[in-house]
Amino acid sequence: MEKTVLIPTDFSIASLNIVKNYLNEQPSHVRLNIILLHGLHQTDSITSLLFYSKTRLLQELVSKEFNEGCDVLKNKYASKIRSMRKDVFSGFTQAAFNNYVEANRVDEACVPILYNPQFNNKSSFDLMPYIKASSLRVECVGSGIDLPIPEKGKVAELFFNRVQVS
Amino acid sequence: MGKSGCIKTGWSMKMKIQIKTTLILLTAFLSIIILFSGFVYLSVSNYSYEDFYKLLEIRAVTAAKVELDKEGSSQELIALRNEFFEKLPQEKDHYFRIYPGYSFKKESEALRLPISFFNEVIQDGKSEYNKNRMFYKGIRYKSKQGEYIVVASAENYFEIHHSAYLRRTLFLAIAAAFLFSALIALYFSRFVFKPLRKITDSVKEISSENLHLRLDNNMNNDELTDLIRTFNNMLDRIETSFETQNNFISNASHELRTPLTAIIGEADVSLSKIRTIDEYIETIKVILDEAETLDRKTKALLFLAQTGFNGKNQKFDQLRIDQLLWDVKETIEKINTESLIHIDMSLLPENPLKLKVKGNEQLLHLALSNIISNACKYSNNSIVNVSIGASDQNVFVIVKDHGIGIPVNELKYIYDPFFRASNTLKYEGYGIGLPLTRNIIRLHNGEILVSSIVGQGTTVQINLPVGQTD
Repeated sequence: MEKTVLIPTDFSIASLNIVKNYLNEQPSHVRLNIILLHGLHQTDSITSLLFYSKTRLLQELVSKEFNEGCDVLKNKYASKIRSMRKDVFSGFTQAAFNNYVEANRVDEACVPILYNPQFNNKSSFDLMPYIKASSLRVECVGSGIDLPIPEKGKVAELFFNRVQVS
Repeated sequence: MGKSGCIKTGWSMKMKIQIKTTLILLTAFLSIIILFSGFVYLSVSNYSYEDFYKLLEIRAVTAAKVELDKEGSSQELIALRNEFFEKLPQEKDHYFRIYPGYSFKKESEALRLPISFFNEVIQDGKSEYNKNRMFYKGIRYKSKQGEYIVVASAENYFEIHHSAYLRRTLFLAIAAAFLFSALIALYFSRFVFKPLRKITDSVKEISSENLHLRLDNNMNNDELTDLIRTFNNMLDRIETSFETQNNFISNASHELRTPLTAIIGEADVSLSKIRTIDEYIETIKVILDEAETLDRKTKALLFLAQTGFNGKNQKFDQLRIDQLLWDVKETIEKINTESLIHIDMSLLPENPLKLKVKGNEQLLHLALSNIISNACKYSNNSIVNVSIGASDQNVFVIVKDHGIGIPVNELKYIYDPFFRASNTLKYEGYGIGLPLTRNIIRLHNGEILVSSIVGQGTTVQINLPVGQTD
């Protein structure tokens, strides 16, 4: 079984924990295409559009730690993940979001229970309202408590923040 | 003496770069100008040649009309010709009647023209030829008496006057442009290298005596600002390492003196009067104890010094980090039976080849056991989580404890030998372990990151580059 899942991200290691928790819950026969989506308002000036490159844009947004964290997850769940990519959504309307979902054949979205994204870029925006208003099936993962941990922002954060199953 | 020599070579190097820039700029300018003027010269002279041939053709036609046709209107034509047609230098006209089958060999020899010239005239109606400065234009003219070849010839006045003038003008222009561009290039290179000279001057003022000095940063966000910033960062690091060095010496002498003082004190006290055998045994035991401590400290120091060198005498093999971790866990549990180490494999990559690193097993074993036993020690043997993961470039080993933590403002000193955080007083240790571990990780081109919150715990992240899988 193959499916595409959309996960909103602020390109922090904490948001990768959502990916990890989600992957943990999936049965072993699923093959996943993961889209890590970031909401970003982009400039509409002609000159910037002339030299627009998504690769470069992502390079600026994504930290080295985040990429390493993605690699760790890809290596861990090598047989579950078919693809994992980072993308930027810059539409303004719900219709644009629905279009994006349809074009990328997204089957479901996965959001953290405790969601407070920390954006480094001031033109970033929260994707949550779009996800909630769309017809996507939404899965909630993660824990409801946020403890201060020493390894914030390092790859190490990915390793221990497991869901406390009670 | 050596210092002045050094400055001198630096100066000549800089001059060299400056001159080089000037020369490069100058060559670029000059080649453009020369290309430009060459093009102008060639196209102008080409145009004037064509123009001159056209002139000759008109002359030839007029002359033929006047000399061969001798019509009624020829009187006016003659008058017109005399009045307006300026005589060209060495202008001559020749007329040859065309007979079928005649080869014009004699004529071509007489005028020193190639026979092909005449053939071309007969065939195409016109032909051009030039030799030295003489220009020849031949046309085929149909008069009342029959067909003629008319050859008009003259010396090209352009070649004599205009061309020389053009050449002179161009040469003058090139010379002027050269001078001008030399000035520009010189000014430009001066202008570009001025900030560099300024940096050199201010760096010269910084020595080991006044390491606190920094280069001032004028806020133009350009490459030189980057250079200044990098330089300042380097100075920061140098200053810290100088401080570390100073601290190290005082710390080391203090650490070595403590057991020595104890030995001397103990010996002094026991020698002050005659003691019983039991007391002597007690004293010697204390002395032995202290001497052993001293020995351990010197050994640790020696090891630290050895790992601080480039790892040329260490043997590096492929080894799997998870196996190593199990070994480390076993060793620590043997030494400290109360320790609780939990190795977490939840992010272990599916492909075990990704866990291979290139390293020296003994050294890595030492480094990891240092970190993990520290974690056990400073968390009073509560559970220590050790987990492994791998990206495509790095293998991560993460050791997390729930111990006393390290105060934030002391985090930057933890790699100083003999440094111990302020909250570690009731724990035993000399402060050699972490610097040693860092040296070992550095030998493996890895990275060690320590983050901590006081009272909550410490997380140590070790990144080791993945070894080649071949």
